[in-house]
Amino acid sequence: MTALDSVPTTQRPMGVAPQGPLDISDDDLVSCVACGLCLPHCPTYRVTGLETSSPRGRIAAMRAVQFGGAPIDTVFERYMEECIQCRGCEAACPSQVPYGRLIEGARQALHERRSHDRRRRRRLAEWLGYTVILPRHRLVIAATWLLGLGQRLRLVPRRLVPRGVALPLVSLTELRHPLQPTAPTAPSGASSGGPSTGNPTNAFDAVLFTGCVMDAWQRGTHRSAITVMESTGAMVGLPGPGGDCCGALHVHAGRTAEARRLAERVIASMPGDAPIVVDSAGCGAALKDYGHLLGSPEARAFSERVHDFAEWLAPRVDRLAVRDTHERVVVADPCHLRHVQRQTTPVRSILAASHRTVDTDDDGLCCGAGGAYNALQPDLALAARERKIAALQRAAGGAALTDFRVVSANPGCLMHLMAAGVRAVHPADLLAEALDPEHPRWPRDAIRPEPSRHPGSTP
Amino acid sequence: MDATVPDHRADRSFASPSDAELTRLVADLGVALGPDRARSDPLELALYARDAGVASGRAAAVCFPRTTAEVAAAVQTARRHGRPFLGRGSGTGLAGGATPVDDPVVIVTTQMNRVLEVDVDERFAWVEPGVLNLDLTRAVAHLGLHYAPDPSSQQACSIGGNVATNAGGPHCLLYGTTQAHVLAAEVVLPDGTVTVLGGLSPDQPGYDLRGVFVGSEGTMGIATRIAVRLMPDPPALRTLLLDFTDVDAAAATVSGIIADGLVPAALEMMDADITRMVEDFVGAGYPRDAAAVLLVEVDGLTHGVDDAIEIIRRVGTANGARTVRVAADATERNLLWKGRKSAFGAIARIAPNYYLHDTVVPRTRLVEVLRGVYAIADEQRIKVLNVFHAGDGNLHPLLVFDGREPGVMERVHAAGDAIIELSLSVGGVLSGEHGIGLEKRAYMRSQFSPDDLHVQAGMRDAFDPDGFSNPHKVLPAGSRCGDVQSLPEGVWV
Amino acid sequence: MTRVGAVAPALSAAEVAERAREIAASIGSSHGPVVAVGAQTHWEVGGPVPDLEEALVVRAPSGIVAYDPAELTITCGAGTPVAMLDATLAEAGQECPLDPADPAATVGGVLMAGLSGRRRLRWGPLRERLLEARFVTGDGRIVKGGGPTVKNVTGFDVCRLLVGSLGTLGVAVQVTLRCQPRQSVALWTVGPTGVSAADVRRRLFNPSCVASDTQGVHVLFEGHADDIDAELAVSGCTPVVAGPIGPQGPWRGRISVPVTALRAVVDGLDGLDGLDGLGALATSMVPAAGDGVTVAWLAEWGVGTVHVASLSAEGLLAARALAQAHGGWLLREAGRLGPAGPDGAGPSGVGLDDGFGVGLPDPQIQRRLKMAFDPAGRLNPGRIPL
Repeated sequence: MTALDSVPTTQRPMGVAPQGPLDISDDDLVSCVACGLCLPHCPTYRVTGLETSSPRGRIAAMRAVQFGGAPIDTVFERYMEECIQCRGCEAACPSQVPYGRLIEGARQALHERRSHDRRRRRRLAEWLGYTVILPRHRLVIAATWLLGLGQRLRLVPRRLVPRGVALPLVSLTELRHPLQPTAPTAPSGASSGGPSTGNPTNAFDAVLFTGCVMDAWQRGTHRSAITVMESTGAMVGLPGPGGDCCGALHVHAGRTAEARRLAERVIASMPGDAPIVVDSAGCGAALKDYGHLLGSPEARAFSERVHDFAEWLAPRVDRLAVRDTHERVVVADPCHLRHVQRQTTPVRSILAASHRTVDTDDDGLCCGAGGAYNALQPDLALAARERKIAALQRAAGGAALTDFRVVSANPGCLMHLMAAGVRAVHPADLLAEALDPEHPRWPRDAIRPEPSRHPGSTP
Repeated sequence: MDATVPDHRADRSFASPSDAELTRLVADLGVALGPDRARSDPLELALYARDAGVASGRAAAVCFPRTTAEVAAAVQTARRHGRPFLGRGSGTGLAGGATPVDDPVVIVTTQMNRVLEVDVDERFAWVEPGVLNLDLTRAVAHLGLHYAPDPSSQQACSIGGNVATNAGGPHCLLYGTTQAHVLAAEVVLPDGTVTVLGGLSPDQPGYDLRGVFVGSEGTMGIATRIAVRLMPDPPALRTLLLDFTDVDAAAATVSGIIADGLVPAALEMMDADITRMVEDFVGAGYPRDAAAVLLVEVDGLTHGVDDAIEIIRRVGTANGARTVRVAADATERNLLWKGRKSAFGAIARIAPNYYLHDTVVPRTRLVEVLRGVYAIADEQRIKVLNVFHAGDGNLHPLLVFDGREPGVMERVHAAGDAIIELSLSVGGVLSGEHGIGLEKRAYMRSQFSPDDLHVQAGMRDAFDPDGFSNPHKVLPAGSRCGDVQSLPEGVWV
Repeated sequence: MTRVGAVAPALSAAEVAERAREIAASIGSSHGPVVAVGAQTHWEVGGPVPDLEEALVVRAPSGIVAYDPAELTITCGAGTPVAMLDATLAEAGQECPLDPADPAATVGGVLMAGLSGRRRLRWGPLRERLLEARFVTGDGRIVKGGGPTVKNVTGFDVCRLLVGSLGTLGVAVQVTLRCQPRQSVALWTVGPTGVSAADVRRRLFNPSCVASDTQGVHVLFEGHADDIDAELAVSGCTPVVAGPIGPQGPWRGRISVPVTALRAVVDGLDGLDGLDGLGALATSMVPAAGDGVTVAWLAEWGVGTVHVASLSAEGLLAARALAQAHGGWLLREAGRLGPAGPDGAGPSGVGLDDGFGVGLPDPQIQRRLKMAFDPAGRLNPGRIPL
């Protein structure tokens, strides 16, 4: 007989677990009971069928490192880097394992270790991207200009990365025109006048966080968001200096220290207590997590103010005068909206009057975009997208991709889907299209404190 | 052992392989399947050391075939190298059935995940083993069909794994377990040959090999294609919630409903603590102050369903149900079921560990057994929560604890032993749906005599005379040592 | 449903145990074949009929060991007549749809023959009824397989193996069966003219039986009267007094084909009309639907079963050939051949001797299973052609 009668229990280590090399809580790490209910909700497991690319497997690998003395080697690094960090597993976990915390902790350990032995060229590229460009909005805009020019001169191929991960055509016109919200009509009918950019204060009803890449590549969507928000009578402000890069990509890459610095900058850019509206699900999730990232009371208070665009709009949607387009749109919830912010109802309710929303049957499985993921792990990203597109088409009753639009509130997902020929659109753009231009804007007076019904509708 | 009894090599063990042997094994698997689909990195192997049970083992290699021929090649390669093998699906089993023992080659079927054929008229589908249970139901939903067995892990568990464990679920009360829903299975036998057990022809000549294979926990080969029955969606479907101030009354209602001539589609029970925690978690409208609730589902044709609702209402009320609530619509129904199926999630909120038993008792003995289970837990100072398939008497007492507390595991095991002993003493069985695997083998002798086990060992040997397929599972060591009671000399051979 | 006979007497567990010990002892103290005998209503099913003169004949006890309607299970001696079992269950408003052709059959006999009843489409095959069996193996072990509860995955499934094993694996002494509530109404109907059985079935949720013969479609409904009325309305079925009895004749058999091939087999049987077999059966047939016309086959839809009858062995052989051509087989249910000759062939020499007509799938596994239960091959030798 073998020694199987003395098989060790791995359900959790007994006694006091030794402090391992990963900066993650042992309590968090042992809270996984390996039931496997996360597996179908993991986009990488779904396309590979490998335990190594599943949340359960990654946690088991972290345990092997933390408790079992396994080395932090390239194998471990690969398992951790294959994670898209969509956190679909976290929403599905019956034991409520804080997977996001675990994977960020593991990535941070990898980042610190990598700083020593990663090849110089890659380190340089990462430094350029994460440390130089992303936090400097002018550089982002400048780089986007160059990209846009290159695209037009056909210097930049449509497909930068192998096999279909592509960049959208940048709008140079948009880049020339900065965002400039207009003041809403005052209750008396007189304009309160003046541009609303600059330092946001309580004078505004909401501040739209514009981000870095999105402001460069999808500024039109911000315009739509401002138009829609203003149509509810809100006076919309923009962040002050430093309110650009949210640091989400840095957190994902394990560059926690840089992320913290960026977070502090963002918080400083939007003082006051006005709601902060974010029309990028990824940025929204990051801003909502500042409380945890920084751990300070100010950060927590700041995070409390953060709302996704749809989340902010939903209670005010009755003020919008939209026409019913009868268009059927398939909803592709961004993971950071669905799994992290746990906001799925608002986008459906804000579109209810103008569009017919259809859901997919895949429990909101990630499309594979994942911030910079589709550039770093193109094979997995493309396989996940293939699966997503099949689900979108099923939801559309088998229609061709050209025959229906898909709504998603995250720039990364939009670009990733569009690169595959999906007609993906942000809900703000959909709503802006459907706004009735003849109808007067809702008067500002009625906005705070309590949203009420549209004057034109019956009580 | 008597000379006339066949030489049972299946009770054998396999020595650990040397590094050189492992290298050759993995190289050969790579030749058979492609180098990227045969792996042996220590960290990767560690991830295949267990399933959702507690026990942990060690694999020699792990491989990911995509076709029947590749599964057969993997089995043949393992055998050629003198290594046992182990089929694995999603690894959601709770009894250690997929825990590798004796350094086997783990053959993972997750990449075989296609629904191959759906026949709407004859209501069956051919699927690959890696198709997930809920995915199958979703794939046929637009045809008005579904796959009936619905284990709580149905979103994650695979049909191949369901076949291996004869998986159950709430709706098996009326529709039967996996066994009743598998028409045929293409199987790679332990000798590496391929056959089809059962068939679309519901009767097969000779012994029911399909019936033996389903539920054999991977000890008789690996299913590579499975024909399953699909059921038509019922025209009428209603879900009821009954609320009791007394556990005994809830248990009495369970047998009362059945005795009144009704077999509901599902009949589930949750006790006070679990109900409260589920309600905190899901907000489905479960009464927080109930001592127990019953979740009952009836389906079929309209009038029969209406009558059934009346029976449940009457029996429940007669037994002291405080309220009998009928879910008004699909949303309310789904919320109630979400509560039931999130029960384990709620548990994670009070203690980090649980140990789950799976005994079945005659449903008329539920009252006394439940009392006994609470008393046992009290005695061992372990918290116990009961959320289970009451309709078929399938208990799932959850012993919840913090494994870091010194000495707690001893008390958990003592409580588990006592619960099993109690269940068997009233005419129950060891496992209703999770299986025996590695973790419950030692209890087999409480339910079966040496002769019973001897016959079962012979069944295993019939499929796997050399003991290569998932060794050391289900049967306790020495199952083949039952004395032959009365075989005379000069026996007629 | 009407009561079919007297209820079964009580039988104590001690009596059963004693009987099991007696059977084990008699097996142990004898040589040669062992044959368990019930009511012999399925005597001709399968391989050659054993010669009782040369065998140790054993009989299982009869009576109810345990029955609590709230358990939906009943435990009885394997020798209990099905009619008695039915009567006992009927008193509590329950049933166990073993549905043998002859209710005099014993419970053990029905299980060993493994022939599912007419209501299989809705209530499942016979093999799903047996929860626990206590039996004596060929080497004299008293063995328990399965468990008494409705749900059980403890150990390997011995019970599935016993059902349909034709007495070759063990002598069943006591069995526990899964029962069900009796439906308030059971109604046989005939389908609308010109509508195929498959089409009728498509219109219905869960009929208990959809059968067809040369006369038309027969559907059995069970359930709530108002639901049945609604189902009649959507399907166009018309109530009749009784269901089809099925083809009768000296040579009978049961075709099992893939459910997808049933249509082709039925068409083929129609084509056999001119043969000196099925087509010439008119005189021995029982009227269907009261119109005096007779049939030689009856197909059960959704379960791949066709019952066939013939006046001659050749007719049954023709049906078997047809079944085999469509990936199925034919189990002989009647057609006495007498003891097998020394080369295994029966006296008729027509090739129906082994009762199956096809080689068994995975014969090596089947033989090893037989060895596990009956290493010396004493139990009903020849019944299953291993």
